[in-house]
Amino acid sequence: MMLRLMRRILLGAVTIATVYTLTFVMAVSIPGNPFQTGERNMPAEAEKALRARYHMDNNWLYFWEFLSGAVRLDFGPTFTYNDWTCNQVIADSLPVSAMIGSLAIATALIVGIPLGVWGAVRHGTWADHATTFTVLLGISIPTFVTGSVLLIVFGVYLGIVPIGGWGTVAHLPLPVITLSLPFIAYIARLTRMGMLDVLASDFIRTAYAKGLPHRMVIWKHAFKVAFLPVLSYLGPATAQAMTGSFVVEKLFGVPGIGQHFVNAALNRDAGLIMSTVLVFATLLVVFNILVDLLYAWVDPRIAEAV
Amino acid sequence: MFRTIVVACLTLIAAEVSWIALGESHDRADFTYVNPSGIHTLDPARMSWTQDFRVALNIWEGLTTWHPQTLEPIEGAAVLPPDVSADRLTYRFTIRNDARWSNGDAVTAGDFIRGWRRAMEPGTSADYAFLFTDHIAGALEYVRWRQECVAACTDAAARDAAFARCAGEMDQRFATVGIRAENDRMLVVTLAQPCPYFLDLTAFAPFLPCHQSIELLRERHEGAPLTAEGLVVYDPQWTKPDYHRNGYPGLITNGPYRLSEWTFKRRARLEVNPFHRDATRIACRTVDMLEYENLAASLLAYESGAVDFLTDLSVPYDHELARLAKSGQRPDFHPCVLLATFLLNFNCVGPTVAGRDNPFVDPRVRKAFTLALDRPQLVDKVRRRGDRPARSFVPPSSIPGYEPPAGLPHDVAEARRLLQEAGFPSGQGLPPIELLYVPSDERMCQAMAKMWEDALGVRVELRSQESKTFAEEKAKHRFMIARGNWYADYNDPTTFLDCLVTGNGNNDSGYSNAQYDALMAQANGTADAVERSRLLQAAEAIIVEQDCPILPILHYTDMVAIAPHVRGLHANSRLWFPFRYVSIQR
Repeated sequence: MMLRLMRRILLGAVTIATVYTLTFVMAVSIPGNPFQTGERNMPAEAEKALRARYHMDNNWLYFWEFLSGAVRLDFGPTFTYNDWTCNQVIADSLPVSAMIGSLAIATALIVGIPLGVWGAVRHGTWADHATTFTVLLGISIPTFVTGSVLLIVFGVYLGIVPIGGWGTVAHLPLPVITLSLPFIAYIARLTRMGMLDVLASDFIRTAYAKGLPHRMVIWKHAFKVAFLPVLSYLGPATAQAMTGSFVVEKLFGVPGIGQHFVNAALNRDAGLIMSTVLVFATLLVVFNILVDLLYAWVDPRIAEAV
Repeated sequence: MFRTIVVACLTLIAAEVSWIALGESHDRADFTYVNPSGIHTLDPARMSWTQDFRVALNIWEGLTTWHPQTLEPIEGAAVLPPDVSADRLTYRFTIRNDARWSNGDAVTAGDFIRGWRRAMEPGTSADYAFLFTDHIAGALEYVRWRQECVAACTDAAARDAAFARCAGEMDQRFATVGIRAENDRMLVVTLAQPCPYFLDLTAFAPFLPCHQSIELLRERHEGAPLTAEGLVVYDPQWTKPDYHRNGYPGLITNGPYRLSEWTFKRRARLEVNPFHRDATRIACRTVDMLEYENLAASLLAYESGAVDFLTDLSVPYDHELARLAKSGQRPDFHPCVLLATFLLNFNCVGPTVAGRDNPFVDPRVRKAFTLALDRPQLVDKVRRRGDRPARSFVPPSSIPGYEPPAGLPHDVAEARRLLQEAGFPSGQGLPPIELLYVPSDERMCQAMAKMWEDALGVRVELRSQESKTFAEEKAKHRFMIARGNWYADYNDPTTFLDCLVTGNGNNDSGYSNAQYDALMAQANGTADAVERSRLLQAAEAIIVEQDCPILPILHYTDMVAIAPHVRGLHANSRLWFPFRYVSIQR
């Protein structure tokens, strides 16, 4: 198991290095002057000096300087938000996104799993069709539509939650629900599919034949196996949810990290582009490794096989 | 197993909700407003956005400041009027006895010199260094020398010698710039030429003072106060109220308010500066500036009562808001007629653009395209926001003592005749005309393209670029026609007209006309206000009636929302809102 873990960590490091290299090439290739602040043009000498100051006049040097900083967890300055460093931007915004993302995933698990199990157990009935339809809606309706509807209904008409912002418990429900809806849909679908496969297995028939109660067969025997695809999905899903959603953050005025993925690219802020991408890549790798470990816990055969 | 998952999830939810509940703060400020897209920087030397100026001019105070309604310069940190020499070149400002920083220190002439010097330094300065090089005696020479220094220090071959020379000569060179402190309370400024609007400039952000504590955060290289590249650099975190590296006390300002809290992309809290001379008379003791990336959400927050004031209503349905304001149904929506023009730049640089023929080097073609455009139609039917159609660069009836020329009307017959005269009858022989713009102008540009196609028989290709790429294309003159806009920096026609002087950094058309340059130079050297105005009008006539390097489309009218319980805020052409005069009457 330890060997497998070490191998995964090593592979993760290679993945992150590759992602960094590709992002770096793209970040320095796109046209546009990161130091230009407004409509007016900047003197050429000043731009040259600033590029020299941040080693941006020599891509090779910049590549290694940024990498050595990143290894020490120092991502350097941002060119868009002059008064802040990339570290501060990430330290301020990542916890916000992580909180909303983790709450969304927790909500999605609590709602999505029973929905999927219910659909599978009542396969072919109106309950199954209703579940499938709800899942389809959850996947197809974009978050900017569901978010806007929730905002207008609960924020404007009913006035029970604030319109955007961050800092109180009342600010949580709308972005969390909006963000969780597609995850609920995916988790419900994966659970339903997993359960349908498992419910047709011999060991389930054997369990029923032994006289085990229906509830126990479903939750104790079938679900444990049916959950594995959901567990695989949880790794990337959690990384994605915790690194923010541009749409949800923009809609609800949430100061998360998702907006920086988009804005940094638009602003040609190479430092912030690479910092945010590295954070995302690292979280993705870490959560995938965690899922691997959980796999071994849920299904000891995997650990034994290794 | 499902039970384990549910218990884990519920525990997580409970922990996170408790965490945020414990950190909740319910203290609402006396006055809350939304600064759209937030603060880019609070360093006055680097500012170029209205929303940043708005915060800066509430927490700092220049030698003068602006009247909240008329925008006339009024007394700031200096006694008005200053002592001005007979040739209008030397201004002697006396700093008020009671001008104080937010830590109680007296504001000195040296603080202004420090602030102004930062604002003209290459690398520290941003868009407004030209205000110093254009107006202060010796500033242009100093900045040019500094730019040479920086270029030499970044050149690997001569780096060490250049650095030593720059560091050694820097203060000596700066002494030739027309800014000096006669004593702690007397600032003497020598101008390069008379400037009738100088007291207007001294209220503006780049002219704000800077407290001496910033020197604790200055970068040094080999003992000299410069970076290895020859730049003057301060730790950019100096604008934070809670930043204390190297014994720095946190941001100290001299305005009616001080910054007490600033969280990234969330909120800035202003509190009355207890040492300001008007501290006891300010009704709103605390002001919250909230950041909303989404303007529609900020409007919803305003409607729900969470916000008292919105400085920007540019939502996708703003034409509907303009209609409600115009019909009197929303008296809290106030139009602000801005000193700003939306325009198109014609490329006047050369006969080819990126390998294609550029017909716009011929003024007759530029004039034909100007005449063919129905600007009132664009304003009323396409934009529908209550802007004013433009025929001049300087907005009419906006600057006291100056009225721009009439400009060109909508005249398709004359446009066709001019195009024929230029050798393109019915548009034949013209290459496809490329119009470069940013996505926010999509509808306007489509409508203009259609107008030209219908009126002149030309083919127009639309090229939309997001703003950074657009800026680079424009700066390198890789366009035939490019959208542009200009917001006045001060209350004088030259803030617009200087842009088209040969070699000006913002002359995006690449236009050059010796007669125009001569008229502008003559106006700059003229003390008589009426004669100066006549000369400027003659100059503007060249660009909007004769040569047409730009095509003015409209003069912007923005809207702000002021809640009915707010008193003391006035819609104005600069979107300048001093909060010291605001009171709440619910």
